[in-house]
Amino acid sequence: MGALLAVPASDYSPQMAPLKRPELTDEAEWIARAQRSDSNAFERLYRMHIDRVYGLCLRMTGNVSEAEDCAQEAFIQAWSKLDRFRGDSTFGTWLHRIAVNTVLGRIRKSKREQDRIQLVAEQGARLVTVADTGDLRDLSEAIDRLPEGARHVFVLQAVYGYSHEETGDMLNIAAGTSKAQLHRARRLLAQQLQEQGFES
Amino acid sequence: MNAIDDDKLSKAASELATEISPERDLWPGIEEAINKPKRSRWTPMLAQAAAVVLIVGASSLLTYVAVKYDNPAVVEVAPANLVFERAAFGGEYTFASVYGRAGGDVEARFVREMAKLSPEAREGVELSLSVMRQAIDDISQALEKDPNNAFLQKLLVEAYSNELALKNRVGRVTQRVMARKDI
Repeated sequence: MGALLAVPASDYSPQMAPLKRPELTDEAEWIARAQRSDSNAFERLYRMHIDRVYGLCLRMTGNVSEAEDCAQEAFIQAWSKLDRFRGDSTFGTWLHRIAVNTVLGRIRKSKREQDRIQLVAEQGARLVTVADTGDLRDLSEAIDRLPEGARHVFVLQAVYGYSHEETGDMLNIAAGTSKAQLHRARRLLAQQLQEQGFES
Repeated sequence: MNAIDDDKLSKAASELATEISPERDLWPGIEEAINKPKRSRWTPMLAQAAAVVLIVGASSLLTYVAVKYDNPAVVEVAPANLVFERAAFGGEYTFASVYGRAGGDVEARFVREMAKLSPEAREGVELSLSVMRQAIDDISQALEKDPNNAFLQKLLVEAYSNELALKNRVGRVTQRVMARKDI
């Protein structure tokens, strides 16, 4: 821990490789420093979690530009609310909650959802992440085409592994509604994927 | 039954990437935002609230003052001892005295010139004057009942003027006779 505290500011370069799985104690230290308004420490936290936050935003919005805006806004929100993080959950889960709220807030504030659907239809595979290959690309595309409510539940529950209770809490819906949306998502996905000859 | 069952779909979904790197570094935008001087979101709201309180307060104060001082004090625009003259004269106006002072010389000359007139001419002048004086009396009586009647006031002035003009003409008659070259 002492070694991390001694890291000079010059080591926080934008080219710094994302840290995939931070040690819990290290992360706690960065959080504590960030809570004392240390933006360098917060950059470290950003690089630890950006891929997971951006991944969630991209899965939920299905739009690269929108996902970037959401991820940025989520981290800005996180910075302003750092004093409210008490360690009840992991920092990653707390960030996910903020990211989900950000996505939902942006959807409520604009009509971009309709634009997004149109964009998905027009651009198709462009929105599929390079991380997905083969049949997973087809699945990713099919998820992007799901209606908003079903897509959000499927991403949180089936992709990110949150329970129906956690998913319901994040989306401000009942657990039963989450189950119903998941069932609907699976049915729609199965129809789409069957047409595409899904093999997985 | 779907050809693709739930287990197969769930397995595929769990294999989807959950960590995806953005195509560009998002940190510079975040850094810029979090290092901006914090502008209190309450400042505009407080300014609006203060404006509303100011307007309501000023309005209330104005209403209070207006109600409290409902009987406005008379504002003096001239010294208290200033004597005001009437712009027009009515029943209270002693026009005869003014006429008497103004026409004093005319009257004296009239008496002198009347003495120079023939008895027939003097009788004609006296008849005209009696008609005029009767008119003046009638108008004066009417003005006693309606002192501020502008029309009656005008008639009275004209009546006095005519009387003075007649008396002046009497004097001029003898003056003209005396100035004749053909006699």
